[in-house]
Amino acid sequence: MPTATDANGTAGLLRLNLRRDRVLLPVWIWLLMAMVAASAFATEGLYLDAADRVAAARLINSSPALVALYGPIVSEQSIGDLAMGKLTVMYAVAVMGLGLVVVRRHTRVEEESGRAELVGATVVGRAAPLRAALVEAGVAAVVIGTLAAAIDVAAGLDPAGSVAFGASWTGAGLVGAATGAVCAQLAASARTAGGLALATFAVWYGLRAAGDIGPDALGWLSPLGWGTRLHAWDGPRWWVLGLYLGLAVVLVVAAHVLRGRRDLGNGMLAERAGPAGGGFGSVAALVWRLNRLATGWWVVAALLSGALFGSVAPHLGSLFDSPAARAALEALGGRGRVEETMLAALLAIMAAMLSAYAVQVTVSGAHEEADERTAEVLAATGSRVRVFTAQAGIAMAGTLLLATAYGVGSAVGYGSQVGGVPHALGRLVPAALAHVPAMWVMAAVALLAWAWWPRATWAGWAALVSFVTLGEVGELLELPGWVVGISPFQHVPAVPVQAVGVGVELALLGTTALLLAAGWWRYRVRDIG
Amino acid sequence: MSNPIEVHGLVKTFGSTRALDGLDLVVGAGEVHGFLGPNGSGKSTTIRALLGLLRTDSGTATVHGLDPWADSVQIHRRLAYVPGDVSIWPNLTGGEAIDTLLRMRGLEPDRTDRDALLERFDLDPTKKARTYSKGNRQKVALVAAFASQVELLVLDEPTSGLDPLMERVFNECLHEHKAQGTTVLLSSHILSEVERLADRVTIIRQGRTVETGTLAALRHLRRNHVRAQVTGTLPADLPGVHDLEVVDGAVTCAVDPDGLPGLLRALDDAGVESLTCTPPSLEELFLDAYRN
Repeated sequence: MPTATDANGTAGLLRLNLRRDRVLLPVWIWLLMAMVAASAFATEGLYLDAADRVAAARLINSSPALVALYGPIVSEQSIGDLAMGKLTVMYAVAVMGLGLVVVRRHTRVEEESGRAELVGATVVGRAAPLRAALVEAGVAAVVIGTLAAAIDVAAGLDPAGSVAFGASWTGAGLVGAATGAVCAQLAASARTAGGLALATFAVWYGLRAAGDIGPDALGWLSPLGWGTRLHAWDGPRWWVLGLYLGLAVVLVVAAHVLRGRRDLGNGMLAERAGPAGGGFGSVAALVWRLNRLATGWWVVAALLSGALFGSVAPHLGSLFDSPAARAALEALGGRGRVEETMLAALLAIMAAMLSAYAVQVTVSGAHEEADERTAEVLAATGSRVRVFTAQAGIAMAGTLLLATAYGVGSAVGYGSQVGGVPHALGRLVPAALAHVPAMWVMAAVALLAWAWWPRATWAGWAALVSFVTLGEVGELLELPGWVVGISPFQHVPAVPVQAVGVGVELALLGTTALLLAAGWWRYRVRDIG
Repeated sequence: MSNPIEVHGLVKTFGSTRALDGLDLVVGAGEVHGFLGPNGSGKSTTIRALLGLLRTDSGTATVHGLDPWADSVQIHRRLAYVPGDVSIWPNLTGGEAIDTLLRMRGLEPDRTDRDALLERFDLDPTKKARTYSKGNRQKVALVAAFASQVELLVLDEPTSGLDPLMERVFNECLHEHKAQGTTVLLSSHILSEVERLADRVTIIRQGRTVETGTLAALRHLRRNHVRAQVTGTLPADLPGVHDLEVVDGAVTCAVDPDGLPGLLRALDDAGVESLTCTPPSLEELFLDAYRN
């Protein structure tokens, strides 16, 4: 554990960090608060009487896909629960993310850039950077929770529920920061540290989703499941807040202990020596090698999430036990049909999530260029066509692989309980592949952004988030069909329940080809670096 | 047979900045050509244009008679490039990075002198690149370039971060390649290095060429420094002689190339006892060219 001198200089660093974050923090917080205000003030107008609210809550609760994505509406009568439902689960990830970004940015990124060495050579203790980052993230989490609660109260929502909801966000922010702190000690690079933390968040989200549609216990294993299990709008179980605090404290202590045991710039795992030679004879082989490890993790994640959702499907939770829900499900075609409907809905969501891989691969290609390595590669081979095709090829082949892995995973999870694995493979793998053309459109959009504006690496992410958001809110907001249709994912039918639309798939493939052609047309002639 | 590098009136703008403003650069076959200029004068931009990484706005540039933009693949097959700030893939080892650069050129690493070069540069190829210091990253790029056996080496401040011992190894390698007829474009700030290695130099400033020629020719344009001990007196207004000072018969002055014969006659007349005449150092040429 650090001593008093280890923390020397924390206050000074904190001031420096706050100055560096003078845009990041306010913007992030403002965006979250805008979401809270919009939901809090708008919901009341949307559902004028209690019967409307109950109907809306039941509608959400009877859709496994919506519950998997946003969590259940615990208190059907409460306008607060309806208004904050999406924010309690999904946007809590954004609060966690802020904690992670602040901590990673001021610890691991600083070490990697060498700036921590510059600062560390002054009268600054070893634990000071970590501590300054944690203090900043902690204060930000408290501010976020307080503001969110205040906005809810101002909108006329139940005061106790508002406070409980705000506190759950503070808790999520603290856990996110503490997770970031531990990951920053374990990994030897900022990129790995970020990936490790995001993977942890993803596992929590998956456990929460499985817990909400299936066995409740799984949801308790995930901090993201605590927000709804707090029952904020229905006589809050205040003790649940202790879980956030307890986990955050444990993780922060662990991070400090780990920090005390490692050298600046190193992770807990020392770098091993690698091969003395070998190398890669083509740009494609090199790009594959650079993305190999990440791809491996993505495949594991796709297999596991597929297996998780597949095995949960036959155990639809108590949410679907009400006579009304059961009637609705029977109308859809009976139990087996319902389970497949749910798998199809989850598949549609996962197709969008898994295409984040293509964005990640493309963004890392843009980083290669920003770090001047693309110039070295081009100076050795000189061929832009090879760089472009390698980048595009791996993004697209990777998404194909991930869709297949998810299909196989869900077939194993579902088929091992209902109908046998071979039969499930025959149904679910082709269903997963039916989403690939839409995923390729997403990949092509990211590649187009890279080809045109190599510095705007966020453009691919922004496109993905927009597509997902359009799909989720389009129907609720009754947006016109052509707006929702901007998202490629909206065009794919709910396979395997619905039939594959050959025309749609061909149109998506054609769009992919057009976008890629436009990207190549620009990449061919633009300046590198 | 055209010159390996010919650049005439090259212009490249980034928004409102003119990074290259009518630059000229000619590098003859088999010569080591020093490419000098202050920070931000356009050296790296020129090199990136020659590699076909940037599209220029006007002027002509050819490498081996080919257009760098249109024929970059053919050009790159015949050159190797060492950037000033080498970045290598952090999760590959140094050895893997070198072999990658060689194999992308179509070379089989085992059939090059890669191993001998690794030994000479004292580089451990099994270490991950992220653990390398700046100097070691530089060595990775140098080994890959020297092992490539190409006709043209483009080196952008290649010795930055190297220790004096390694600088010497670099000089030896460069000499060996020069002896084999390799053409070298050497951008550098280390004037002693350029002075020792370069046959001709080009000095640029603000994207424009201000001086070019052999070192001897450039020197010829500049004043020599003369120190002498005389017994008699010197006339004060000798043509082409500047900053003349005489203290107790000890003479110091700077003299234009045209004024040298006149000065020598005057010194002879004044009964010269000792005489040293120093040509201007590259540093002086450099500072002169920068200031004007």
